[in-house]
Parts: sequence; structure tokens; C-alpha cells
Amino acid sequence: MLTWLIWFIPLLPFVGFLLNLFVIRQERQAGMLASATVVASFVLALVATVLLAGLPEAERRVQSMAWEWIATGSLSVPFAIMFDPLTAVMVLLVTGVGALIHIYSIGYMHGDPRVVRYFAYLNLFVTMMLFLVMANNLLLLFLGWEGVGLCSFLLIGFWFERKEAAAAAVKAFVVNRIGDAAFILAMLAVFSNFGTLNFYGMEINGRWVPGFLERMPEIFGLRFGPDWQPIAIATGISFLLLIGATGKSAQLPLFVWLPDAMAGPTPVSALIHAATMVTAGVYMMARTEQLFAASPATQSWVVWIGTFTAFIAATAAIAQWDIKRVLAYSTVSQLGFMVAACGMGAYAAAIFHLLTHGIFKALLFLGSGSVIHGTHETQDMRKMGGLRTAMPTTFWTYMVGAAALAGVVPLAGFWSKDEILAHAAAYGYWPQLAILFLTSLLTAFYMGRQVALIFYGEQRDNHYHPHESGQTMRVPLIILAIGAIVAGFMNIPTLFSGMPAAHLLTDWLQPVLHEEAGKFNLVVAILATAGAVGMGYLGWWAYTSNAAKVKVGGLDPAYRYTGDIWDGMQEAWYVDLAYNRMVVAPFRSFSATLANVFDKQGIDGMVNGVGRVFTWAATEVRMLQNGYVRTYALVFTMGAVLVLSFMLFVTR
Amino acid sequence: MVPTAYYILLSAALFAIGVLGVLVRRNALVVFMSVELMLNAANLAFVAFARERLSVDGQVLVFFVITVAAAEVAVGLALLVAIFRSKRTADVDEVSVLKG
Amino acid sequence: MDTLIFIITAAIALIGAVAMVVARNAIHSALFLLLNFGAVAVLFLLLYSPFLFAIQLTVYAGAIMVLFLFVVMLLGAERIEDAPDQIAWQRPLGIGLGVVLMLVAMATALRASAFAPPPGGEALATFGDPAALAALLFTHYLLPFQITGIILLVAVIGVVVLNQRGRHRSEEAGREDARTRRREDARR
Repeated sequence: MLTWLIWFIPLLPFVGFLLNLFVIRQERQAGMLASATVVASFVLALVATVLLAGLPEAERRVQSMAWEWIATGSLSVPFAIMFDPLTAVMVLLVTGVGALIHIYSIGYMHGDPRVVRYFAYLNLFVTMMLFLVMANNLLLLFLGWEGVGLCSFLLIGFWFERKEAAAAAVKAFVVNRIGDAAFILAMLAVFSNFGTLNFYGMEINGRWVPGFLERMPEIFGLRFGPDWQPIAIATGISFLLLIGATGKSAQLPLFVWLPDAMAGPTPVSALIHAATMVTAGVYMMARTEQLFAASPATQSWVVWIGTFTAFIAATAAIAQWDIKRVLAYSTVSQLGFMVAACGMGAYAAAIFHLLTHGIFKALLFLGSGSVIHGTHETQDMRKMGGLRTAMPTTFWTYMVGAAALAGVVPLAGFWSKDEILAHAAAYGYWPQLAILFLTSLLTAFYMGRQVALIFYGEQRDNHYHPHESGQTMRVPLIILAIGAIVAGFMNIPTLFSGMPAAHLLTDWLQPVLHEEAGKFNLVVAILATAGAVGMGYLGWWAYTSNAAKVKVGGLDPAYRYTGDIWDGMQEAWYVDLAYNRMVVAPFRSFSATLANVFDKQGIDGMVNGVGRVFTWAATEVRMLQNGYVRTYALVFTMGAVLVLSFMLFVTR
Repeated sequence: MVPTAYYILLSAALFAIGVLGVLVRRNALVVFMSVELMLNAANLAFVAFARERLSVDGQVLVFFVITVAAAEVAVGLALLVAIFRSKRTADVDEVSVLKG
Repeated sequence: MDTLIFIITAAIALIGAVAMVVARNAIHSALFLLLNFGAVAVLFLLLYSPFLFAIQLTVYAGAIMVLFLFVVMLLGAERIEDAPDQIAWQRPLGIGLGVVLMLVAMATALRASAFAPPPGGEALATFGDPAALAALLFTHYLLPFQITGIILLVAVIGVVVLNQRGRHRSEEAGREDARTRRREDARR
């Protein structure tokens, strides 16, 4: 039953996409249809998960092939999806958060002239994301990977009349290409070394096609030791996959596209650029965990990239004025946490954080969307202030989200972040632990700052009258807020012996990730939550007490403590600028040279030159045909003489 | 007995003189005669080789050449007459309208 | 004896050929060519081919040369080269090229052929017999022989078509032709 049931999960949104694309013309119908399909998917996913849970642990993997997609030579790629514990949680996140965001969008996008198209894109995105997480082979995963990239491009540039939106869309697309190229190379390497692209073995048209994750021991396991080659292969492939993940999951050095991607509609930011698509890299790393585990070299790269990304993005988040850019950098930072967790081998913790983060970051984005909506498209936090009275629902839900992100007990973020920190402590990643701990303090600080700037103090700009958002937007906020409160309990550590519900998620993922539950580290937990509360309060206090000094064009109150460092933070340590100087500007001037000099003089000159040569040659050669038969005879005789001379002097 | 080489040398000389005639003379009839001379030179070579190799085939070939030459002369002269009738000249240089 | 005859006839043939090319008058050219043909005919005889000797005289020297002379006189094209040469630059080039060709051709001939006396004796007694030639012609070369006949037929038809009067011409050309005819009639 599962084998056919799971096909409906991605196909329902796809049907919604097709209908929205070709049939539906009305805003209301489009929104209802799009939401309905995703909600239906979510229900199906729930059913499928329950059915999966009913199976014995060893058999919790259902694979289902629609047709043999590519069959050339030894390459056989099925168009097949699968459903296992890891896929199940991802599908639940995608469809669950996706459904709420669809509903929210009905209110948020109301009145937009292209709203039908918006819902079509959104449905297509959900379809592609589901294919990404349900694919049973790398190629289908890549199809989803590129599909969500396309939808991301379309939705960032949804308001393409705005120049920065169009530019941001292109930027996101181009930066992602770098990672995608590495991903393609990784696929080629996997195929050439393992002879298959499937994750797990399955039967295709009566033939057993092995999965490369299962062949790992026979390639690597048996020949460890003096023979270095297997490790080199694992390092090469996993490093390429890592580059792919840095593109999609906005890690150093490719994170620059994500803050700009906030030019898209806010629900899009919530769904694509916070909860789902950007986590694809983490999901992919967790899925191919064996490959990464086989290469200690890549693992150390992964953990350091994640750690640095987390820290740098957190510092950048502190110094932003745009409400969405704070959350964007925060997302990059949290993704860094997940990647670092992957690098430390704590895949279950990474997935746990992925899930909780998907919920509370979606909540924060939707809350910020509600703020933006209620303040008539104001995004600059310097123009806000004191909104808690006008928007009580938004305020309270936002508070929950912020506290969850900051890591306040017992909200979702605390448990998942603590799981990562505890793992780092347990396995001796001390420098990383220090940086990540610092990052979590910074996280609390900037959330306190943001809450203070938006909701506390006096309204600093009176050009608008803030109002609470409508029902369709408030309900998803409330649901997500509840989620942000309770989601952590799906994987709480064993606080006291004999606790029944501990480590549910880790146990559930155990067949896929082969990971034992970590121990609860009381010291780290207390330090982290105390730090979070303290820094959160500090941020809140610093910006409520100095609220009067905050104005457009003025300096940040914290500037006098940090000085020039603040400028660096504001510009995300000039990574963007460096790219502009080192890549974009030389490329532009090179293109300009090509266009103005090489094209005009080289190419055009060549083309025109060929024309001129032939005109000249034709006028000259024309003269040879002078009409005198005797001249022709003369030329003919010359040929005869030449042939005779050749026979005489050359051939013997 | 005269060695074959002498005949071949004579044949080559006659042939070259024929070519010379084609190249320098303008009178279409003389050009035509030069062509006949070249054919004749070739015939001589054939017959000489026939004797050298004691094979009658060479002579048969000459027979064909003479026959075809007769036909060629008939057609060629008819063409000349036709051209003369429209151009009023037998100068080959006058028939030079077809040019680039 | 043979050698002497060869030298004399070869000299006559060469003189005839050169004179043919050099002569200003086309009638003279034709006559010198006739001389050349006669000399070559004698050479054929020397080379044991009496049959070719005969047809060289009858077909070439007889039929073809008469046809040439007739056309030269008919067209009045004896001395048309008194007009200035339009492509005078070609004359030295043509002469030079002719000489080079002669040298190259003779050199090739020298390399290709034998100076040793040709085989003789018994075999030559019956070699070149017209009967033997005929036997070969009507057995082994029967198909080419037939084709030659067809070529002659085509030539006859071609000549007739080429010199057909009036039918495919415009009226003007036809009248022009008629005038020419009347002039020619009057001249006679």
C-alpha cells in the first residue's frame, strides 16, 4: 500500500501546479486549491509515516519505481521514490510548514496582480522539494535540487519590476550554479566508482541494481589501511558534495545570495529560504552520511565551514536594520549550526535542528511578514517600534519564535541546539564548541535587539497606522508558535533515568543514520540557556533604553562599543564586496573589452574581412575568364607541362 | 631497323609543334589543323609501340583514332561554318563574348 | 637503308609541321599539313602497317584535307591574321610554353622507350598484315567498332542539324541569310 500511496505526496502539489498554471484564473480559487493540495499531501504524509512506523525497524524503507528513467549501458537510473524515516520527517516538515505558509499566503498575497502565478510557483516548489527528499537516487535528487533552485529564482524575482528583486534572483541562481557544478561532478564520481546512482539497492525490470551507500563497505571497508585510494575517493566525492551543499545551504563562501534573496515575498522567504530549500544541503549530507564518515578530511572541512558560517552570519545579523535581513543572516547562522553538526557526526542532531529551525524560523519569517503587512510594506526596523499593542498576536507568536531561536528552555531551539553543543562537548570539538557557544549568545542578542526595535518603545515613523493581520495569517502563526514550543520534545535527552519519551527522533532515524542517542550535558545546557536569557535581555535592554537614538541615517547605539567592527558586521565582513571586486568587476571589464574591442575589431573585422577578401578575389579572379579560348588552352597546356614534369622529375 | 625511341622523339616533337600552333595561331582553321597534327603525332607513337611490342592492338587503336578524327573534323568544320555565318569571322579571338 | 628513309621522311614531316604553323596563309598551312601527313604515312609503312598507310592517305590526306581546303576557300579565311593580335602578350608565352612542352615530352619519351633495335626476324614477316588486323578488329574490338559507326552517324546528323537553314532562326536572320545567298549567287 505504501508503494503507491507515497506517489500521491509529491504528485498532489504537482496537480495543483498544473491546474494553477493552465486552468485557474481567480485569486481565491488559486489560493484554496494550492493550499488544499499541500494540506492533502501533509495528511498523506502523516498516514504514510504511521504506516511506516507500523513496520519492523529493519524494513522501514519503501522504494517504488515508476519507470526506468535512463538506461544507457551500465547506467540505469530509475524514476523512483522512497520513504524511510529520514524522508518521512523531511516530508512532514515540507508539507506541514508548506501547508501553513500556503494558507498564510492567501492573506499575505491578497490583491497582488499575479497571485495565481505565485501559487503555481509555490506548488511547483513543494513538488520539487518533495522529489528532492524522496528521491531514491542522486539524479532524481538533483532534479529536485535544480527544480527548487528554479522555483527559488522565480519567486525571489517574483516582483521583477523591482530591480533589486530581479538582480537578487539572478544572483541566487548564479551562485547556486557553482555548487551545482560540484554536485554534478560528485554524481559522475559516484557513478564511475560505484557503478550506480541509487542510494539503496532495488530491483529494476527484474535486475538487481545495488545502491552506492550499501556498497560503501565493499569499496571502502575492506581496503582501509596502507591502500590510500578508497579514502581519496571518499574525500573527493564528499568534498564535491560539500561544495554543492555550501551553495544550496548558503554556507561560506557561497552564502551571499541568501540575504539578497529576501527581495522575494516574505512567505517565500519563510518556506524556501528558511525552512526547506536551504536545508536541502544538510539533508543531502545526512543522506550520504556514510560517504562523509569515510573521509575524516572532509569532515573537518565540514565542521569548520559550518562553525565559521554560523559565527560570521550571526555577527552580520546583529548589525542589520532590515527586519528580513536579520532573519536571513540568522538562517545562514543556524544552517551553519546544522552543517557543523554534520561535520561532527551528529547527523541526528543536525536533522533535529533542521526540523525545529524549520518551524521557528518559518514562524519568525511569517511574523515579520505580518509586521511588514501591518505597517504597509515597511521593512526598516528604524521606522518601527512599539508595535506590540497594535499587533498582539504577531507580537506573542514572534516572542515565542525569538525565544525558541535564542534557545530558551524549554522551547524547540533550546533542545536542538543543545544537542549539537552537547555532541561537540562529548566528542572533544572544543574550539568549535567555543565558537558555536559564542554564536548562540550572539543569536540571543540579535533576537533581543530585533524584538526591542520592532515591538517596544515608541513608534518612530508615523506615516502608517499599524494593524493586526487577518485570520488566514494569524492562524498559521499560532499553529507554528505551538509547534515552536512543543517541537523540541520529540527528541529531548534523557533527563532522568527511565524517562519514556526521550530521543524519539534519534531512535526513529536510527535505521538510516545509524546513530546512538547522545548524552545530556547539564553544564553546557545551563550555560547555554543562561547565556541565551542574559544576552537576549541585554539586547532587549540595550535597544529599548536607547530607542530614542535609533533613527534613519543615525548610528546604531552599539556602535560606540564596537567602532569600526560594526561596519564590517553590517556588510557581512565584505564578502559581497570581495566578490564584486575579485570576480564581478574583472569579469565585467573583461566582457566590456570583448564587446567593445574584440567583438568590433576581431569578430566583426574577421567577418567583414572575409567578405572584403572575397570581393577583392572575385574581381581579380574574374579577369582570368577573358573569353579567349586560346588563353584557356594556354593554361591547359601549362597543366600538361606540369604533369609531365612531375612524371619526369618526381616519379621514377 | 630504326629504334623505337626515334619514332617516339619525332612523335613528341610533332605533338609539341601542334600545341604551339594551337597556342599562337588565331585562324580557327589553322588551330584545327594543329589539332589534327597532334592526333597524327599520337598515331605515330601508337604504331611505333605496336611494332616494338609486336602487337597489332596499337594499329587497331590508330584505326579508331583516324575514324573518330574524321567525324570530329566534320562536326568541327560544321561548327566553324555556323560560327562564321553569325560572326562573319574565323578568328578564334573574336569568339570571346563569354567572359567574366 | 631503313635509317636513311626514316631520316628523310622525319625531316620532311618536321618541316611540314613547322611550316604549317608558321605559314601566314591558311591554304599554305593546309598544304604543308598534307605534306606532313604524307611523310607520316611513309613512316607507317616503315613500321609494318600497310593498312594504316593506306587509310592515312585516303582518309586524312584525301578526305579530311580536301574538306579543310574546301572550307578555307568557302569562308574566305585565308589571311585573317593580319589584324592586330588582341592578346599579343600570349604569343611569346605560348611559344615558350610550346618549346618547354617539346623538351619535356621528348625527355619523357627518351626515358620511356628503348634504343635497342626492335625485335625482328621471323615474327615481323607476318606482322601488320591487314588480314590479321581485320581479324582482331572484328572479333576482340567488335563493340568499339560498332560504337565508332554510331559516332560517325551522330556526326553526320550533327553536321546536318548545325547547318540547317532558317527553321530555328528569327526572321531577320533568315533575311540576312537570304541576302548572303543572293550575293553569293551573284558572285558566281
